[in-house]
Amino acid sequence: MNWKHVRLLIWKEFLQLRRDPILLALLLILPVLQLVMLGYVVGADVKHLSTAVVDLDRTVTSRRLAESFASSGYYDITQRPAKESDLRPLLDRGDVKVALVIPEGTESRVSAGEAAPVGIVVDGSDSRTASVGSGYASQLIAVFNAKRIAEQGISIAGPGIDARVRVEYNPSLRAVNSMVPSLLATILLLTMSSVMSQAVVGERERGTLELMFVTPISRGEYLVGKLTPYILIGVVQMSLTALVGRTWFGVPFHGQLWVAVLGLFLFMLTTVALGLFISLVSHTRQQAQQVVIFIMLPFFVLSGFIFPVASMPTVLQVVTYAIPLRYAIEILRGTFIQGAGARELIWQLLALAGFSVVMLTLALFSFHKRLSD
Amino acid sequence: MTHSAHHPLPFISEPTATDSAISVRGLTKRFGEFTAVSGIDFDVARGEIFGFLGPNGSGKTTTMRMLTGTIAPQSGSIRILGEDVVASPEKVKRRIGYMSQKFSLFEDLTVDENLRFYAGVYDLPADEFVKQRAYVLEMAGLVGREKELTANLSVGWKQRLALGAATIHEPELLFLDEPTSGVDPVARRHFWDLLYDLAGQGVTLFVTTHYMEEATQCGRLAFMYAGRIIAEGSPREIREQHLLDIGDRDDSGRLRTASIEDVFVRLVTREREEAGR
Repeated sequence: MNWKHVRLLIWKEFLQLRRDPILLALLLILPVLQLVMLGYVVGADVKHLSTAVVDLDRTVTSRRLAESFASSGYYDITQRPAKESDLRPLLDRGDVKVALVIPEGTESRVSAGEAAPVGIVVDGSDSRTASVGSGYASQLIAVFNAKRIAEQGISIAGPGIDARVRVEYNPSLRAVNSMVPSLLATILLLTMSSVMSQAVVGERERGTLELMFVTPISRGEYLVGKLTPYILIGVVQMSLTALVGRTWFGVPFHGQLWVAVLGLFLFMLTTVALGLFISLVSHTRQQAQQVVIFIMLPFFVLSGFIFPVASMPTVLQVVTYAIPLRYAIEILRGTFIQGAGARELIWQLLALAGFSVVMLTLALFSFHKRLSD
Repeated sequence: MTHSAHHPLPFISEPTATDSAISVRGLTKRFGEFTAVSGIDFDVARGEIFGFLGPNGSGKTTTMRMLTGTIAPQSGSIRILGEDVVASPEKVKRRIGYMSQKFSLFEDLTVDENLRFYAGVYDLPADEFVKQRAYVLEMAGLVGREKELTANLSVGWKQRLALGAATIHEPELLFLDEPTSGVDPVARRHFWDLLYDLAGQGVTLFVTTHYMEEATQCGRLAFMYAGRIIAEGSPREIREQHLLDIGDRDDSGRLRTASIEDVFVRLVTREREEAGR
């Protein structure tokens, strides 16, 4: 390995990157924008759900129940249809996402100390809205009942139960804190693997790759010279997104910093090597891009980024062990939220170290193979 | 166009049979079932301009890739400048140059950056680079345009710059892969003048081309077809020998004067007919 050659290749790569402002923006500015945007989208509080109330009871109790929905801030009562059958078209058209149906006789039942069923209809086409919408509703009804019981003097409850419950139940805070750490890894994967996948196949298409091997530049020198600039850019990108996540979203960090940095760095090596491998086995840039897209989907679905691994079928849970993003997310969530350190995350770190070594070896091997035929 | 004074050759020797620039014996390359190159032999003397011709898919490019050490053959031997390329492809790389009209330069680097890059690739010392850079810029007619992006140069300039980059380390043997494709006739003539200059300084040139009038400018030629060399010799030898072979005479019984292109087309047609039988 002639380090002068490696330095020369790195110098050349940076010159080319500097002349490609779109690529640089893709690697450094877009990740920050994505983090901010996705951070808001996935971490956003579900509020102001348009709601229909069908009050068939028309009593003080029913009006107070509806009122408690309206004043919670989560539901905007936009429709008050007279009968239940009027609800369907409203939900079909998407005019309302939630409907509260208070049957006739609710007040009398409550007064008699019986259970009074209340209907809550939720638009299930958006699972997130649905789960949050119904979750709030049951919470509100629980509070409403507690208040009624307190008013009737059956039990002595302190004032302000209502307010306290609402503060504790704050999904927006929880979502951002767990989403931002996983986004750091996900955005790294998206940008680095797709940019890296173009790096070598582009030179192959232009013919400059083969030209290199007529010169004294060795394959090893070429690979190191190609990877180093992207690894450096990856480090800058990681630092930028982590900084924005900490300052903009105020995501707390409780664990060991070096564990998070090492985990993210090992994951970055894995993604760069994965991109390089794709670039080496592809014939054209377009093909490389398609392979990246094809690989991304299982990464997202099976990593625990969107759906919890624990709730997957057993067969698929086994498959998740082969997804590097899973370990990166576990390390980042562990260190950011749970305050975990090296002792708790040693297996995830070792797995990522293994992945990066395997991917780099695979890339090196396919590089030798591709040039010999 | 004489730049000999600025372009001293590091190593000049008399071409002899044992001291050839390229010596190939029984060279074979297969890709799976397909035999791209099938046991070819040829020699190129030092200081010679050797033209390597053949239709697309004839095994020309595969042969060139084996000669430059990019891919390894299945069997056969290659000696380049006395070194065994099959056994140690790295040894000879500093002593050879490679230029292809399409691929030799990084389009998103400037003229100067390209030269600097190739000087670094061949570990040229700083003082040597200053000298060679000045020579290349003058040769390519790019003095004063050092900061221009290579992509913005016209084809003729790109091609001369590519030649300069490929010879910045003063190679003893230069491989040229279709160096003039897509170049206008005037620039092509100019380019060949530069090649003659190099040959005059003792550099061996191995040129693949599609242009038949270019082939006649070579000292010696080899025609390749379906992985084999079907004709070899000086342009004149090939013309005479194969005209006799084909026995093409005009009405008065004299051998018709044919161009290299005629011979080439006839040879390929004959090969195809024989293969079809």
